[in-house]
Amino acid sequence: MSDVADTEDWVLLAYRLPREPSTPRSTVWRKLKRLGVAQLGDGLVALPADARTREALEWIAEEVLEHHGEATVWLGRPADAAARAAIRERMSAAVAAEYDAVTTEATASRDSDAATRRRVAARLRRELHRIHARDFFDSMQCEAALRAVDDLAAPLTDRALT
Amino acid sequence: MKWATRARVHVDRAACAWLIHRFHDPEAEFVFVDDPADVPPDATAFDMRGVPLSHHQGRCTFETALLQFDLTGDPALEEIGHIVHEADLADDTFDAPVAAGLDVLIRGLSLTSDTDDETLALTHRLFDGLYEHIHRQILSGRPPA
Repeated sequence: MSDVADTEDWVLLAYRLPREPSTPRSTVWRKLKRLGVAQLGDGLVALPADARTREALEWIAEEVLEHHGEATVWLGRPADAAARAAIRERMSAAVAAEYDAVTTEATASRDSDAATRRRVAARLRRELHRIHARDFFDSMQCEAALRAVDDLAAPLTDRALT
Repeated sequence: MKWATRARVHVDRAACAWLIHRFHDPEAEFVFVDDPADVPPDATAFDMRGVPLSHHQGRCTFETALLQFDLTGDPALEEIGHIVHEADLADDTFDAPVAAGLDVLIRGLSLTSDTDDETLALTHRLFDGLYEHIHRQILSGRPPA
């Protein structure tokens, strides 16, 4: 997912939804979180720009309009490097924490029976796919999480001695 | 009829073109535009912002098309709708493990095709096969061997 990591361009969604009903608000927020957006302010979120992130935010903008809200999509770049670094850091930390949670859970299940290990590993792999899709800056923690889940899925005899 | 969509098609647009061609308008002719302003006046636009045949109420364009074309009675098409939804939006509304593979295949096909018509010629075959597989699975209750 790192092909956008060094570009300066960001795609931003500015939106406002009526307070009631609350369901569209939480649906939209859940979708934005899944995309891994940086929240820049109340009703202002950003993602590193590429064709995919731009389209994703455009569809969410449409959804906001359908729920009688206001939404505009912008392309832009942070004017100062420190702000840009801070946003990147915040996004990276959020993704790193998600990878670490997977690593912790995989490690905790190491001594379960074979069927449980495989089931947990399958679920964690799906989780890793979801995290990877919002890992815009090549998190260092990805590798450890992948290894922990592979190790969990491997037969006991193939397991690396630790 | 003439149909228009955004150039460099991906899974939702490819699926819609297939659906239009096979189930709605066998004479369909497709136009691909970079700018919404370039949609010909006699064409029906799809999978573009602000048009009826597009994403609505959390549905992807293919799912909207099934409703608009009155094709919701076909369970195989409904299942393809779930797969396309997850390939396009990946929001876990449906359990569709095929989606991840379909997403990658169509991205790859569009990378190796020179034109959108060329991509669609290939994706039509892909969706024909997907439809047949799901159709047989529904009839027999198990995946075709």
